Amino acid sequence: MNREEILSKVKTAFISVLEHENFQLTDETTANDVDGWESITHMMIITEVEKAFSIKFKLMDLMNMNNVGDLLNSIESEL
Amino acid sequence: MEFVKRLQESIEKHSDHNVLCINGTFYTYKEFALEISKIRSAIVDTVEDSEKLIGLVTNDDLQTYASIIALWLEGKAYVPVNPDVPIERNTKVFELTETKYVIDSSESTIYNNYQVIASTKLADVKIDLVPKEFSGDQLAYILFTSGTTGLPKGVPITFDNVQALVGAIDAEPTFDLVPSDRCLQMFELTFDFSVVTYLFPLLGGSCMYTIPKGAIKYFYIFKLINEEKLTVLTMVPSIINYLRPYFGEINAPDVRYCSFGGGALHSEIAKEWSDCLPNCKIFNYYGPTEFTVYSGFYPYHKETDTKSHNGIIAIGTPQKDTLYLVVNENNEEVAIGKTGELCLGGPQVTPGYWKNEERNAQSFFTREENGEYVRYYKTGDLCLKDEQGDFLYVGRADFQVKIRGYRVELAEIEFHAKSKSERKVNMVALDITNSLGNAELGLAIESEEFDTEKIFDHMKTMMPGYMIPMHVRFIKEFPHSINGKIDRKELKKHFNIS
Repeated sequence: MNREEILSKVKTAFISVLEHENFQLTDETTANDVDGWESITHMMIITEVEKAFSIKFKLMDLMNMNNVGDLLNSIESEL
Repeated sequence: MEFVKRLQESIEKHSDHNVLCINGTFYTYKEFALEISKIRSAIVDTVEDSEKLIGLVTNDDLQTYASIIALWLEGKAYVPVNPDVPIERNTKVFELTETKYVIDSSESTIYNNYQVIASTKLADVKIDLVPKEFSGDQLAYILFTSGTTGLPKGVPITFDNVQALVGAIDAEPTFDLVPSDRCLQMFELTFDFSVVTYLFPLLGGSCMYTIPKGAIKYFYIFKLINEEKLTVLTMVPSIINYLRPYFGEINAPDVRYCSFGGGALHSEIAKEWSDCLPNCKIFNYYGPTEFTVYSGFYPYHKETDTKSHNGIIAIGTPQKDTLYLVVNENNEEVAIGKTGELCLGGPQVTPGYWKNEERNAQSFFTREENGEYVRYYKTGDLCLKDEQGDFLYVGRADFQVKIRGYRVELAEIEFHAKSKSERKVNMVALDITNSLGNAELGLAIESEEFDTEKIFDHMKTMMPGYMIPMHVRFIKEFPHSINGKIDRKELKKHFNIS
């Protein structure tokens, strides 16, 4: 799976949790850039992403995840 | 005021130690002392002596913490408002307290109708932390909680109240903070729990670590535990509920104290969490805002001290100078082992809700004990006292509902629903009003959908028919209030049964 395909699946997970599409996801996007992305919805997005890719993140990776780029890197390393 | 004097002494004594770590930046007690002095000087210069209640915008920075101490040195109270809350509500709070002055560390303030002290833009002054003389019945802070009528409800706390809290914690030899301690301060300063997470580290010369706004709270806390080697954690139980899937990866030998409060701590998760903290004492604290944060605790230990009721860890015994009384509807004490409403008496009780006589008449009463009159606050929490003198939490009085005429404790349903569930997920029992105006029971499960047949089979063996929920809803993530408590009102909206 290339990075674009990963991003597109990630976006689907965001939309299903946040219930809107009013955002752009790039490597640099953080929680501050997306409406409704905060502590609790983040936990939901993580669960949703884990399901979509059939992976399980490590707490160490989650702890250092600061933007969408970090999220994509973590997914790539788990696949 | 003794504790304010002690704050001065501690800040002076630990001047080369770190006081705060905010978003990766460390600040020393000396820098803290300078900020306090600058703000204090601005208060003296601008605020009339008669003005005692001063607004404080609770940003996550050195100046906001310094403002609290600066106000206390001057014998004034802080009225905190969260900058993330709509300004309409915050100005309502200032209106209720007749606040004219606001200390704001924001880049630019939105409180244009107030006299604002811009705390980040003050000139240097000589450090002066000597507290003014003032009377202990002056207010130290007022916190506002959501009121049932929609109007926020103010809880004023006096310096004497805070002094009594400090005295009670001092009297507890098993909890003692030292300058080498690194303490989690995860609470918004409008939440009463924050008082213990800044006050005790400051008195001990310890360092506090805050959670930056916008950070993912749960992972940031773990990051602090892991990288900064925190030694003292003070949390609401919902934090560990979210970290639970990752407990296997958490091993934090540096943590020596972990205090819980602000919600029910469940036995099973307490044991699992305890396994993550091999060298830690766990305290299950109890106490409402109206009683100056803490009124007592139960010292939990996964092997030796696991007392619980319906799966909820005991709240233990009252702390020094605090009286616990369990009463019936007529405010009469009930027998040992009988459930009633827990009432608290002693020097930590608030003088009463801010300008709310009606509410005060309902929530406080006076009782004659050994020739003296003792004033009690009714907590709204149902408890029972056991033979050993430990108090056990049963549930909220308003979570005790009547179903077909029977009294039902929602916590009991939750306990039985969870006890046989293979999935470790959160479940909340709710009373839902149907189209006929009758209460029916609903069970909200924080999960994807799954088969609940086994859970219901088990419940049916443990409880009478009227206690078995008739409606089940799966909700991916429970709604929480700003303080991290489950928002039951919001949850009920998922049950559309009328």
